[in-house]
Amino acid sequence: MAVFLSALGFGVVTAAILAISAVGFTLQFSVTNVFNLSFGSVMTISGFVAYWLNSAGLGIWPAMAVAAIAGGALSLAINELLYEPFIRHGVNLFGMVIVTISVGLICDHALQAIVGPSFFSYEAPAGKAFHFADFVLTGQELAIIGIAVALTVLVQAALQYTRLGKAMRGLSVNPSLARACGVPTRRVIALAWFVSGVLAGIGGVALFLDISTFTATTGSEFLIVIIAAAVLGGIGSPRGAVLGALVVGIVTEVGAAYWNPELKDVLAFSVLIVVLLVRPQGLFSQLATERAVAR
Amino acid sequence: MSAATQYYIATILVYIAVNAIASWGLDLQFGVTGVLNFAFILFQAAGAYTTAMLSLGPASGNGGFQRYLVGVHLPFPLPILGAMLVGAALSAVVGLITLRRLRSDYQAMVMLVVSVVATVVAESVLGLANGSAGLSLIPNPAEGLAGLARQAQTWVFVGICAVCMLVVGLLMYALVYSPYGRVLRGTRENEPAIEAMGRNATRARMQVFVLGGALGALSGALLAEFIGAWAPSDWLYPETFVFFTAVIVGGRGSVSGVAVGSALVCVGVQQAVQYLPIGGDPTVLASLEWIITGLLTMLFLWVRPQGLLPERRRRFPAAERVLAPGDVGGAVEVDA
Repeated sequence: MAVFLSALGFGVVTAAILAISAVGFTLQFSVTNVFNLSFGSVMTISGFVAYWLNSAGLGIWPAMAVAAIAGGALSLAINELLYEPFIRHGVNLFGMVIVTISVGLICDHALQAIVGPSFFSYEAPAGKAFHFADFVLTGQELAIIGIAVALTVLVQAALQYTRLGKAMRGLSVNPSLARACGVPTRRVIALAWFVSGVLAGIGGVALFLDISTFTATTGSEFLIVIIAAAVLGGIGSPRGAVLGALVVGIVTEVGAAYWNPELKDVLAFSVLIVVLLVRPQGLFSQLATERAVAR
Repeated sequence: MSAATQYYIATILVYIAVNAIASWGLDLQFGVTGVLNFAFILFQAAGAYTTAMLSLGPASGNGGFQRYLVGVHLPFPLPILGAMLVGAALSAVVGLITLRRLRSDYQAMVMLVVSVVATVVAESVLGLANGSAGLSLIPNPAEGLAGLARQAQTWVFVGICAVCMLVVGLLMYALVYSPYGRVLRGTRENEPAIEAMGRNATRARMQVFVLGGALGALSGALLAEFIGAWAPSDWLYPETFVFFTAVIVGGRGSVSGVAVGSALVCVGVQQAVQYLPIGGDPTVLASLEWIITGLLTMLFLWVRPQGLLPERRRRFPAAERVLAPGDVGGAVEVDA
């Protein structure tokens, strides 16, 4: 039981990081319908922005805030300068997947050429250890969980109650109808990219804090787990992404405690494949049909 | 010609052949039929490992320094044929999971996930294929030939690769430009239409998935025999992307185009980077290769999405028999 509980504790931390990132990934996908495989690179670059600030003496939490803005700006810039023009140029859904992979690879390897292949880590104290029965969580881990809860609740509430959130949901269901109803689609899409980048930035710093050492490709490697969580919950559904993150996070860490830790991701991916065989659209998604890229 | 130059040329030729075979495999899936197989490199890896397991002999050989499954020593064409069978079987399994029920964007994502899972499994399960160290000392079939100098043996292997490339190329022509190829293109362009014609689009996807998997495995088999080693770092999931670039640059759906594209992208870029005056830092060179590959893909998608040698659009003579008299005649242009 003790093993199980402590594994559960780790699982909740992993789930928190996953939830932040998966909500960002899925929110942008639901609004624009672009499978953004450069999301991991935005995480990494934001993580490195925080690293540079942190090395210059800034505390990790202010550095995370700056990294969030940097991630948002980068994500927005990539969309405005590359994706948006490509979509208007007539590149279809599949073409856009290839474009986003290209951008991801270019970002990762440009960063790698600059920082080299070495491992990096933040200067950040893990904080006091808190004991909850057999759970032991550091102050840092508790902060990450708190941030994740706050962000996911905020995103969900914004989607549910604000005009912008309603515009985003409208856009994800029927772009042309949303435009006909007076939704400024371009601005809403731009905002979706920005918010997604902010979440990528926060998720990236949280990830790098949690795994303690990182390289120029860490974000892209983690992206696969994010995709697994997002697809598991039903891609395009922020609620589903949180649920998927919890399942993937807890299954991986509990699996690691009882089984070969190196194979923990395999377990999560197996869950994904089993779920997809039973419910091909994911746990939460209602969207059974494909849509074109939103313009 | 010095031995070193000869070996260099032979290496380039082998790589051109191997990459053409792999790119054709992916072209059949992605270019012709429109299946986004982001796990393609997995099938090349399956071929490479199978060949190794079928030609290395028992794992206790060579002092038992590496662990792997099976471990038999079969004569020349059998390890390669075995590799193709395993590639096809693995494709069938992955295809059954992904192609039958999932939306096509989900298919792409799940295949990406499958590719990563496979790497993790190969790295962590030591008894499978020696973990992350990978397999080495994989025998080259030409090196068993008695009475031949080492250089001549290398050229024999180049010959084997060339024959394979020729056979696969002819097969591609036969497939792509046949009525069956039309079904495949129809699946890519307009699935409801092809289904309305009584063809089964899912079955077509499944078939090219298996066939392309076998071709990927063939390329992996030849590659492993040539370099003599194969490890998980050779088939990380971004490697699949290089073949996508080859297909896009060459011209998706075009047999000759894809051969040219794969020679340019898979072999040319790597060679060109070596000659750039930027010093020899291996990390920077490797990064630069990826950056160039990414830029090439975007450039082609923007400027010339049909590729260097585009897929032929066939014109059929006017369909007089179909059109009523008085209708506008002329030629009917269709994708064929």
